[in-house]
Amino acid sequence: MIDDIESLCGSRLGPGTLYGAIARLEEQGWIEPLPPEDRRRPYRITTEGVAVLQTKLATLQRFAKTGLKRLEAL
Amino acid sequence: MKERVAHWITRLYPRLWRDRYGEEFEELLTVQPGSLRNIFNVVWSAFREHIAHGTVAAENQLCPRFGSVVRMPSAAIPMMMSLSAFIVVLVHLAASGIARQADEGAAAHIWQMLMAGQIPVLLFFAIKWLPKAPRLALVVLALQAAAIGASMAPVFLLKW
Repeated sequence: MIDDIESLCGSRLGPGTLYGAIARLEEQGWIEPLPPEDRRRPYRITTEGVAVLQTKLATLQRFAKTGLKRLEAL
Repeated sequence: MKERVAHWITRLYPRLWRDRYGEEFEELLTVQPGSLRNIFNVVWSAFREHIAHGTVAAENQLCPRFGSVVRMPSAAIPMMMSLSAFIVVLVHLAASGIARQADEGAAAHIWQMLMAGQIPVLLFFAIKWLPKAPRLALVVLALQAAAIGASMAPVFLLKW
């Protein structure tokens, strides 16, 4: 997850930060734990999490589109 | 990061958090570099978990309990800072040995900032809690003094 986030966003999360986020996302019901594999535990996004993520990404997309458009006008 | 280090810094987290995430978190730490950055990240995150899940309205209690007072930020922050300073010393020992360095490096500056930075917080805690709960406050101050002593001991013993 840390490597994946780094390739997406260019910044590397510390392990404490990652698990702080995992704990909050799980508390919100947006991710759920899967059965552990050895000592590791994978997580999966929930249906509610998908809905929330879609809304947020749509907002970000509108924001990015408007921002780029306004930059072109400068 | 070495398993032992991963195990001990995971123990900084609250018990409930460790019960839920401890094993997988330790496993994650063992595959991460044992850098100062990662260690500070974990220590700071552990502190935040204590604050997030340990805040009891101690101020509103007639007889505050030790557990609720020690979780207050003004009590916990100096102890976490001393602990962080102690970890800085350990990491420096592991990396550079006990020889005195010609110039103060980043580790020395970080240690100094952590030790000096907790003084105003300690004073705030003392001013706030000594009138309200003198015995409890004195116990917490004694714990904070012990944490400071533990952090300063290697520096003085090794004459850095």
